Amino acid sequence: MTNTLIALAINGLVWGLIIALIALGLSVIFGLLDIINLAHGDFFMVGTVVAWTVLTITGSFWPAFLLAPVIGFVLGAIIQRIVLQPIRNAAALSIVATFGLSMILQEAVRMTFGPTPRRILPPIRGTFDLFGVEYEVYRLFAAGVSILALAAFFLFLHRTKLGTWMRAVRHDPEIATAMGIPAQRVYRVTFGLGFALAALGGVVASPITTVDFRAGVDVLPFCFMAVIIGGLGNLPGTAAAAVLLAFLEGIISSFATPTVARIASLVLMSAVLLLRPQGLFKGLAK
Amino acid sequence: MTRTAIDRGVLAASAVFLLSVPWLIPAVADRFWVNVIAEILIWSLFASSVNLLFGYVGLLSFGQALFFGFGMYGVAIGVEKLGLGFWPALGLGVAAPVAMAFIAGIFAVRLTWHYFAIITVVFSLIFYFLALTLKPLTGGDDGISFAIPPTFRLGGAEWGFANESFQYFFILFAVAACLYAMRRLLASPLGKAFMAIRDNDVRASLIGLNVYWLRLVAFVIAGFLAGLSGALFAFFGRYASATYMFYHVSGEAVVWTIVGGAGTLFGPLVGTSLFILIREVVSTHWQHHSLIVGAMAILIVIYAPRGVVGVWRDLLERFGAPKL
Amino acid sequence: MTAATTAATTAATTAAITPILRIEGLSKRFGGLTAVDNFTLAFEPGRLHAIIGPNGAGKTTLFNLISGFLPSDEGRVFFAGQEITRLKPHRISRLGVSRTLQVKSVFNQLSVADNLWITAQAGRGVMNPFRAAASYRQTCEDVERVLEQVELTALADRLAGTLSYGDVALLEIGMAIASRPKLLLLDEPICGMSPAETERTVAKIRELAKTIDIVIIEHDMEVVFGIADDITVMAQGAILATGSPKAIAADEKVREAYLGRPEDEDYTGEAAGA
Repeated sequence: MTNTLIALAINGLVWGLIIALIALGLSVIFGLLDIINLAHGDFFMVGTVVAWTVLTITGSFWPAFLLAPVIGFVLGAIIQRIVLQPIRNAAALSIVATFGLSMILQEAVRMTFGPTPRRILPPIRGTFDLFGVEYEVYRLFAAGVSILALAAFFLFLHRTKLGTWMRAVRHDPEIATAMGIPAQRVYRVTFGLGFALAALGGVVASPITTVDFRAGVDVLPFCFMAVIIGGLGNLPGTAAAAVLLAFLEGIISSFATPTVARIASLVLMSAVLLLRPQGLFKGLAK
Repeated sequence: MTRTAIDRGVLAASAVFLLSVPWLIPAVADRFWVNVIAEILIWSLFASSVNLLFGYVGLLSFGQALFFGFGMYGVAIGVEKLGLGFWPALGLGVAAPVAMAFIAGIFAVRLTWHYFAIITVVFSLIFYFLALTLKPLTGGDDGISFAIPPTFRLGGAEWGFANESFQYFFILFAVAACLYAMRRLLASPLGKAFMAIRDNDVRASLIGLNVYWLRLVAFVIAGFLAGLSGALFAFFGRYASATYMFYHVSGEAVVWTIVGGAGTLFGPLVGTSLFILIREVVSTHWQHHSLIVGAMAILIVIYAPRGVVGVWRDLLERFGAPKL
Repeated sequence: MTAATTAATTAATTAAITPILRIEGLSKRFGGLTAVDNFTLAFEPGRLHAIIGPNGAGKTTLFNLISGFLPSDEGRVFFAGQEITRLKPHRISRLGVSRTLQVKSVFNQLSVADNLWITAQAGRGVMNPFRAAASYRQTCEDVERVLEQVELTALADRLAGTLSYGDVALLEIGMAIASRPKLLLLDEPICGMSPAETERTVAKIRELAKTIDIVIIEHDMEVVFGIADDITVMAQGAILATGSPKAIAADEKVREAYLGRPEDEDYTGEAAGA
């Protein structure tokens, strides 16, 4: 029983790191563009589909690590330009637009990829002994990649000009524009980045989860939980919350069903929304 | 031709059409379209609950499916597990969502804007998962099926939903009554208070309106509308299932409302009709009608955010039809 | 003796000597910034009181504190003898304190008449969903009366969002009086108006001051010295000086901090002679 607990807990940790990546994408979109992106789970799903397609066409999994984020970025930028920019004054409507986007993405994938879920074999096979449990090497690899990607993202945010622009626009769009920062372009890059992060998460996760046009539906609430509990605009908080939530859900799953675990997380999220809307990890925010 | 005259004309024509459906439709098309129209009416009532909150109070709820589900399960559990007759089950199917709306509203209405939308989703997800888990009560994913009890017993004769025309008229009457009530509500002090809050909640409290309380009242009324539509749906389909509590259902209603025209009385009906008809017509030839739905949602939001009825009103105004 | 002062005497004797508004040690800080600093003042009834001061002096914050929009850090506020310090905005409004906002804002998608209607009805108890609004005769009559008073009768059915800026300001004043307040807080009512509109509005305010106690925040010195009975100057959240227009015009601190150099004596000279 303890073995299962350990395995589930570590699974939770791994999954949490991947979700942290995806949730970060949601967080920058929500925090910077003030948009509730209901299609974000589907961005993740697109990543898994890209992985499967690359694998099927080239026989190799690795190109997907580069291709998915790039495709995601380009798609995101295009979507921002043609869908979101024209409606930026009507915040309430953007949620409807992203809902429509979600339907389109799901249906488009269903049309081309088909309705049957597929599985991808991990590019790195094998297991090793972890606390007495046979643990897949790939999952550890996935965790590592996620950590690297997270680190790279934070470096980007704080060390590059674009990253600084993003933080400036988030802080005060008017002053930023007055200072000569092209706000619209920053929004475009941000949305593209959000999509890219989610798509990367999708690639990393694809051998662990199924590749299916509905894969995003489950991921979306989780990302929102991480963003809210971590604190809106609090990027490190979002990452921390994602890991924590997945870890907790993993543990709860060992003695109750995953559904119960999900209910527990949702209740926690409600409590945070009502009692401490700035999130639990205020101290981590810059 | 004045605008009021045109509006009244359209309304009268629609009323005549709707009243004659059980005889008119089978004469020109397949019988099953009578049920499609009945379903449209039910869903438009659901969309009206979204419309009341968003179009008239300024609260975007993405979780009305929660109350739909309570209404649905109220009826299903009432009939199937508690052996209730039609009216008691309907009563339960309305009381349960109203109670739930009150409880949920106490918390939800404290939030605004994004956070309100998010918490409505969260609440509906919690109960969706609960419904999935409590299989003995709710039938989980498979749902509950039940045989429908009769509605009226007059002398020796029974009238109920088993009769397709009766079913249609009952639904039509219920929905029409709700829309009429809504119209009166909107012309009342409460309605004006709602709209004031929608336009400017800071100013509203400055003039003496208790914004929190009024939002809660609106939330409960919307919960009633959504719950009633769920109850009617359960009777209509003799079935209840957790899948109807998922946020996707709420989201679709939001799209229908906005496309039809938020903040107008008949917007939800127009929007719902449009999308369900598209679904029925297109899906026989092409199974990817969701693409159309998604695309329309986006296009309307960009090019015609006031929706069909909104555009209709603008056109009437533009082409000079005076108000009175 | 002017009509205003006669009314003031009558009001003063009937209301005993209770100030219409009394503020004690009111303070508000935002992080490191002190927006309102230990503000203490009593506002006599029957007099038009103006609050002036440079931008950022804390005037609007003061109004926000009085009307219940911001919680104060310290201090108390009394309206007609009753403490209103911790009350919610809608409660304070129902007690008879009415206010306009610095950035003009009304109910854009309601008609002008409806704006007034809901304002008039809001303080009257429960919002009844069962009666038609048009059936409330008293309220409808009040709306007609106010429309005439602010000269917006012709625009009664127009959507408030389509009005010109000047008309919105008039509507705001209309809404402020539609609720029959005892105290009216006007926040820069003529900001952004043309000279003609300004004249109209100032005349209205003078008219209103005969029956309602008014506290007005304003930047236009000509207007202030023209209509105010009392003036309080705020700077950096605190009271710099308070008194009659003559006294203020002559006050050294005020001239230095706010009214400008001796060359700008034009209006202060006027006021001194008024």
